Amino acid sequence: MRPVSAVGASQIRPDAYEKVTGKAIYPDDLEFPGMLYAGVYRSTIPYGRVIDLNINEIRKLPGVVEVVDHTMIPGAKKHGVIFKDIPILVDDVIKRVGDCLLLIICETKEALKNALKQVKVEYEEYEGVFTIEDALREGAPIIGDASNVLYHIKVQKGDLEQGFKEAKYIVENTYFAQMTEHVFLQPECAIGKIGDDGLIEVYVATQYPHYDREEVARCLNLKDEEVRIINTAVGGAFGAREDINPQCHAALAAYITKRPVKVLYDREESIISHSKRHPMKMYYKTGVREDGKLCAIEARIYGDTGAYASWGTNVLRKSALHATGPYVIPNVFVEAFAVHTNNPFAGAMRGFGAAQVPLAIEAQMDMLAEKLGMHPLKFRYLNCFEVGSVTASGQVLASGVAIKECIEKLASHDNLSL
Amino acid sequence: MVEVTITVNGTSYTRKIHPLMRLLDFLRDELKLKGTKEGCGEGECGACTVIMDGRTINSCLVLAASCDGKEIITIEGVGGAELHPIQRAFLEVGAVQCGYCIPGMVLSTKALLDKNLDATEEEIKEAISGNLCRCTGYQKIVEGVKLAQTKMKESRGEACECGRS
Repeated sequence: MRPVSAVGASQIRPDAYEKVTGKAIYPDDLEFPGMLYAGVYRSTIPYGRVIDLNINEIRKLPGVVEVVDHTMIPGAKKHGVIFKDIPILVDDVIKRVGDCLLLIICETKEALKNALKQVKVEYEEYEGVFTIEDALREGAPIIGDASNVLYHIKVQKGDLEQGFKEAKYIVENTYFAQMTEHVFLQPECAIGKIGDDGLIEVYVATQYPHYDREEVARCLNLKDEEVRIINTAVGGAFGAREDINPQCHAALAAYITKRPVKVLYDREESIISHSKRHPMKMYYKTGVREDGKLCAIEARIYGDTGAYASWGTNVLRKSALHATGPYVIPNVFVEAFAVHTNNPFAGAMRGFGAAQVPLAIEAQMDMLAEKLGMHPLKFRYLNCFEVGSVTASGQVLASGVAIKECIEKLASHDNLSL
Repeated sequence: MVEVTITVNGTSYTRKIHPLMRLLDFLRDELKLKGTKEGCGEGECGACTVIMDGRTINSCLVLAASCDGKEIITIEGVGGAELHPIQRAFLEVGAVQCGYCIPGMVLSTKALLDKNLDATEEEIKEAISGNLCRCTGYQKIVEGVKLAQTKMKESRGEACECGRS
């Protein structure tokens, strides 16, 4: 077999030269002749409706080219990676702080800044829900489409009751993982323009140019082939550039004005607008036999998915599938729920639902090891997956399981006998 | 409007500017030097770091009007036809991921090593403490700075030998 020279060798990233010399082009580094600047006025309340907006006054301000509301969107008014539920410009109910109300297009950055400050909104505000408990309460306002439970999954194996009967020790706790913000270093920016061939072009730093193309085409009522997404250098993403952010606004502004239009967020708008890591509440009950073998686990995991679905279904599915950690447990009952609230919407972030559950499962493992009087590493060695193990969801691990080897290496550093 | 003369990367520029224009906007919008990045606009992230008269500053917090007569180095002024040893080192150790913090990191490193080529790991970390990176976890960047020290010492050694002969 021909040796593959890249494997096992340290490679220099092909884009690194441009980046160390400052030549890499991120969207805000681009300028086009006649370029306008657009920005979004965002809701300052988490739940309610717009009664009145001073659009006509804003239109008359110096440097304002156009003020766009939802009635001026030629196609779909909502986008979303799975469910199309995030308003490009709100046409009905405001569900979170940061929902987009108006798109303002100006000749200069200064005129835009001024116009955004002059927007006055009269709201009808509703009482929202901001905790998982409140959202699941009987009679709670429904933030989702038909229910506040966006998603529910069960992972079951063996006989839970019998499993806990075998247990010598049982540990039962509830864990909380907080909301996390990606804070990628390059704030969102997109430039919409009409290309030389008449296509709508969007220059943007994105994780999914192909999804973006579909969303922009839907918004403008165009065919996919009439839209071109040009991915620039991406200044960090970590999942938060999976959902649409400035893409549709930049495209819409260019479509309406027929001029290049830049949409650039500042850090505050970046944090307000995009998805978050799911805050989770995780109830865990874990049982171990006298011989140190895990015998049963019960877990209920609730993720606050916020106002919009984004990847909430997939994230909580992943949480459920990773809930038992890398351990062989014969009797399992795991449930996971993605729950809508009026909080910032949660979606993809490094680990995608697999990052929260280890906090719970590994803390449980430490406590059980303590009860057994066993070294925590040894306890894990006794219970961890190896080739041929079957996971809680029934997957047979046919190859590539090296946890034991890892633990052996760690133990050898500590002179610990396993 | 006020008139300022600012030397950037060895070239003197005289411009009439708004008195509230930030140095960052002077570099990016007036001079079209797009290598200096804006990450937060409030001096937290260090993406807009440049060197002013030998010291690093956040160019988002400095008014261009206050830079009259000053000498600024941006990422465009580091290296030339060949990469600066710092840039070379960052490439080689894999210190670069998304790249948005890198111009600022390179300049903070340059300001440190120009003064103290023997900086300890603690001093390196201190020197880049105003530059946030969200990708790497900093370890590779610190490794990059250390490799840059070696490279710069080697090239200084060579220069000395040339001087002697």
